[in-house]
Parts: sequence; C-alpha cells; structure tokens
Amino acid sequence: MTLTGEHGPERESDDLIAAEYVLGVLSAAERQEATHRIDTDPAFARLVDEWEVRLSPLADAYPAAEPSQSVKPAIDRRLFASASPSPAAAPRAGIWTSLGFWRGLAAAAVAGLAITIALPYLQPPAQQQTRLVASLAADSSNVKYLAVYDAAHHNVGLSHLSGERDQGKDFELWLIEGDKPPVSLGVIPVGAATTVPVTPTLQQQLEQGAVLAVSVEPPGGSPTGQPTGPVVATGDLKNI
Amino acid sequence: MEPKDITKLILRTSMKDRAAFDLLYRQTSAKLFGVCLRVLNDRGEAEDALQDVYVKIWTKADRFAVSDLSPISWLVAIARNHSIDRIRARRQPAADIETVLDVADPTPGPEAAAVSGDEAGQIHRCLEELEDDRAGAVRGAYLKGESYAELAERYDVPLNTMRTWLRRSLMKLRECLER
Repeated sequence: MTLTGEHGPERESDDLIAAEYVLGVLSAAERQEATHRIDTDPAFARLVDEWEVRLSPLADAYPAAEPSQSVKPAIDRRLFASASPSPAAAPRAGIWTSLGFWRGLAAAAVAGLAITIALPYLQPPAQQQTRLVASLAADSSNVKYLAVYDAAHHNVGLSHLSGERDQGKDFELWLIEGDKPPVSLGVIPVGAATTVPVTPTLQQQLEQGAVLAVSVEPPGGSPTGQPTGPVVATGDLKNI
Repeated sequence: MEPKDITKLILRTSMKDRAAFDLLYRQTSAKLFGVCLRVLNDRGEAEDALQDVYVKIWTKADRFAVSDLSPISWLVAIARNHSIDRIRARRQPAADIETVLDVADPTPGPEAAAVSGDEAGQIHRCLEELEDDRAGAVRGAYLKGESYAELAERYDVPLNTMRTWLRRSLMKLRECLER
C-alpha cells in the first residue's frame, strides 16, 4: 500500500500511515492493522498521537449536538449493571492498591500537569505531610514505575506501570544521592503495587533530592550490594 | 469548563470515580455526540456509537497519561476514531445520495479561526497553502472520515491519484506546521 513511503526510511512510511489513520482515509482492514499497532508498538502510537495533535484544531468545526436522554443510563447499565445505581454508594477500594490511583498520578506526571491540580482529589485533605512523587523511566527501556514517598508512613509506595523483566531476573530499587554509592531498597515486584519501608537516614536523603533507580539483577537481588545489571528506569522525586 | 477541569475529571474517571464520570459525560457528551453524528450521519447509530465511546473512556481513561493531546481533543479522538471504524465496518455504500448532494466542507470563516486561537489558526493557514480541492479533501476526510475510495469517487480521480494527493498534502501540512 505504500507509494511514496517505500522509498523513504521505514519511519517515514510509518509516519504516513499514522497520518492516514488519523485523517480517517484508510480501509477497514488497514485501520484494524493500525489499531493493533497502536496497542502494541509505542513508537507507532507516538506518531499517531503527534498527528492527532497536529490535526485536532480541525475538530473545532464539529457542531455540538444533544444525544437523547436514554444514552447515559444505557452506558451505566453496560458498565455498572451489577453495581448500585448511585455513584455515591459505589464502593471504593483502598487507594494504595488501586491501579487507577497510580495511573492517575502517572497521568499527571507524564502529561506534565501540575500535580497540585490533581492532588486535592487524590488524597484526603487532612494529610499535609511530605509527599514526593517520581516517575521512573529511561529512554533505553520500556520499564516504568511510579514511586510515591510518604514521609508520614516512612515508606515508598511503588507501582509497576509497564515493562517486563527477562526470565530469571529481578528488578531492584536503588536510592542514589549525589556521587555516593547507591543504597539498595530491595527487590521489587513486577505487575503489582508495593510499599518499601525506609529508614530515617534514607528518608532524609529522599527529602534532600536523592534519585531512585531500578536495575536488572539476578534473582533475589544484587549479590554485591551494588547494582550489577543495567539501570532500566530512573527518576527524581518531586514535591507534591 | 476549563481544560484543566476536564483533565481532573479524566484523572478521577481513571480512578473509577463514578461521580466524576457522570460529570464528564454531562460536560462533554454534546461535543462527542456532534462528532459521532457528523461521521455516521444517522442519529440512532451515532447514539450507539456514543455509548461505546463512553464505555471506552471509562475503561481506558488511564491512557490519557501517554497522550500529548488536550483533554477535550483526546476525548474527541476516541469518538472520531470509533465512529470512523463503524462507518468502515458498514457495507460499502453505493454512490449514495449524500455524495451527490454533499458539497465540500466550507472553509471556516476568519471568525472561526480567530475564535479557536493560534494553533487552530495555524492549521487553517497551512491548509490554505494547499490547492483548494486538496484542502477540501483533507477537511472532508477528517470531519466525515471519508475513505480514499469515497474521496476518489467524489473528486472523480483514480484511487491511487487520490492517495498520492492526500499523502503529499499531509507531508506539506506537517512541514508547514513545523515552520
């Protein structure tokens, strides 16, 4: 299906497909293929997002129209058929175990939004303790963690957002302050949220701007007490 | 409602906050329904599509994190792409009445460009640099989700010609927007 694209580098051709997908001109089969790539190929998804941004002002031309009243109840039936009809009565899982909470925070961090905007909604107003958040990632890998340091509870909450480790390897969390040797905070799980306790000394370092990093280690963690494998994600804590 | 308020509602929706989801629906459903209706051109089908769109928003709200789109544009993109997938899934329409009656989408007047601000103004300026019928094809494709095949028929050119036109237009647009 490529005409001009096949002469250029692959990225150029991908960029054209992304543009055609966003413009809306592709056939059903081509769109299906593009949708699959958006879900599985982050580089392609990026190109699509860039074209969505470029062309989005054209959407101003869509006139608003009121849907009939029956639509929202139908949506609610599809989503919450077994739940109670009242939003207020919807059960709320513990916030620290909610993937949505972590992703919501990540959304704010990644989108570069002031976290202060979202924060009043994310935590009970009574807690005015020190909280720091870091999005741990690296260009060279697709491993992403979100870390939230909670001074009041002396721990770092950690949520694995994406990226797999190789078989027979573990991820280990490190705290790095300036030029000092990294301090291990232990092996961390993949695919789940967890909390890691921190000592008062480490707390002080965290509050003074230490960096968190995730490295790939043999099962059970580094045998030497220092990182031995590649660092797959890193980030510094920002005050929220 | 300010973009940052919509952002809050999307964030809270990703946390499975139903009250936020309800408010998000109230604030954005007219715009998104407008999108579905324009693309699908059938009220009943547009309402079915709108249901699907909000189900997607509820289940995929966390994906907003990895997009550079403004919150309302992100929502519009979900509605647009879903509606386009739906018309593509329809039986290919014969050269229908719409094609005959439909004239190219008018260029929004200067007031529209002024209202939607700089960024929007820029894309309209860049579209003006294209030949008229090509700019019209880009607008038509974007707003109505017309396929290469439908556009080729409307402009009475071979499909591959239409493909080449639009690809060149898209590359010119990108170049213009990046100037």
